[in-house]
Amino acid sequence: MKKLLLIAIIAFFGTILSSFVYQDNAGDRLIGVWEPSNGRARVKVEKIGAKYYGKIVWLKEAIDPVTKQPKVDKNNPDPNLQNIPLKGFRMLKDFIYAGKDEWNEGTIYDPLNGSTYSCTIKMTDKNSLEIRGYIGVSALGRTDIWKRLEVKKK
Amino acid sequence: MNYFHLYKRATITACFLISFLASANAQTDTATTPKKTTEDEDFSMYDEVGFVDQSAKRYCSPKIEGLSPAKLISLGFDFQGPYKMTLDTFNNNINQGSPENGISTVTSGARFSCNIPVVSKTSLVWQMGANYWESGYNITNQTTAASGYVENPMLKSLQSNGLRTMGVNTTLFKPLNDKNFLLFQGSADMSGDYDWNLMPAKFMKYSAALIYGKRPSEKKQWGLGLSRTYRAGELNYIPILLFNYTDAANKWGTEILFPARAHVRRTINSRNMIFAGYELEGQSYRLYRMESIRNQDLEIRRAEIRLRLVYEFSLKDFLWMSIQAGYRINYRYDVDRLNNGEEIFRAFGLLSKEPYIMKNTLTNPFYFNISLNLVSP
Repeated sequence: MKKLLLIAIIAFFGTILSSFVYQDNAGDRLIGVWEPSNGRARVKVEKIGAKYYGKIVWLKEAIDPVTKQPKVDKNNPDPNLQNIPLKGFRMLKDFIYAGKDEWNEGTIYDPLNGSTYSCTIKMTDKNSLEIRGYIGVSALGRTDIWKRLEVKKK
Repeated sequence: MNYFHLYKRATITACFLISFLASANAQTDTATTPKKTTEDEDFSMYDEVGFVDQSAKRYCSPKIEGLSPAKLISLGFDFQGPYKMTLDTFNNNINQGSPENGISTVTSGARFSCNIPVVSKTSLVWQMGANYWESGYNITNQTTAASGYVENPMLKSLQSNGLRTMGVNTTLFKPLNDKNFLLFQGSADMSGDYDWNLMPAKFMKYSAALIYGKRPSEKKQWGLGLSRTYRAGELNYIPILLFNYTDAANKWGTEILFPARAHVRRTINSRNMIFAGYELEGQSYRLYRMESIRNQDLEIRRAEIRLRLVYEFSLKDFLWMSIQAGYRINYRYDVDRLNNGEEIFRAFGLLSKEPYIMKNTLTNPFYFNISLNLVSP
């Protein structure tokens, strides 16, 4: 009898633990390589700790036409960061999975003007994201659709 | 089996279970945590990719690189003057008013506009907006050729009521693919000398424009279209040309929607821009508030060309200031009397030679405009 009780307790805690693992992993569907609608860049989303980050891994125009060097973050408002290469730059930061296919509490950086916006991410299907950058309130913003990419093995 | 063995077995089982789950979690973390740093990651692997969803399409963006930021909310002040007005007498047997020469005035007023995205998706961008502009007239040395006093009802109305425009507008950007797009803009405006009691909705003026455009690169977009507009003061249907361009160095560019406006842009950096060019501003203003002329269907056809320099810069983050100064050239300030309320479509004199009931002239002053703007992401 006691053996059965012990097994039931173990099974109970095991179920709870596995549900935590499921909850934790549910947000991992965001991980992957994505392309914004303009096709100008490709962004790789990774998980670091409990948060999600996206870095630029490809640029349509990777070379600055003036300097003939790889593009850097020249529009960054902090002059000390204006020489950081755009390739590898984390433009999505600090996203937390909030459930219901949404990630929030993060920011998105626009290298074209050096501005950082509040941002929410919603997965509309497993290969599409609605990325909404906004100022203060969500109504004052813009949504872009990102599509999941498949990296072809070389 | 005693309790010790049972406890021992349970502990081992629990440890195994926990370590399995932790291991699974660790594997996830291992899989998701970047193994390589930015410095040593091989980015070339991202050169060859394909959409996972094969039906996914690329669409062109409404903007190009280097374009000045779109204004979500704008609050400003416009000041013209001083300049002289020479007003004709009313004709067509209206028998009201008398000619006025050498009237000095300054014109000023607040301007508010907002444009809020309603739908902002890759395949469709839809914005709704509202605007309120006012023009107050401060007339200082009125003289009347006949009696020495102001009798002209239009002038009386301008002096006491001013002119204002209030309206709503919508913009639809529909990309057809990654190169071609359609752009539609429509607006409904109430313009006149009304106060907070407004005017009947039948006096609304409707404008619209449809453009078919191409965006061959990240730094160029152009388009051709047709518009129904009151920018020349009266109703017109005119072709329009869109041409936005930024050079390779992102220093120079153009922002043109001809004939409404055309500017050359000099980008100091992404938060400081200078423009040189012009804007054609105009509207038909209903003379409604004075009962003596209310039923005569009178409308001021006001249009002016603003040659200007504009400096736009970020005060902080998304709060931008725009300062413009230039020369206001009067294009038209005449008065029409509508026939049974119907618009007169002259097509610049090609379709109708119907005379205005007042032909007025204004000298051209310098002007300035200053505004605070919340700009779009």
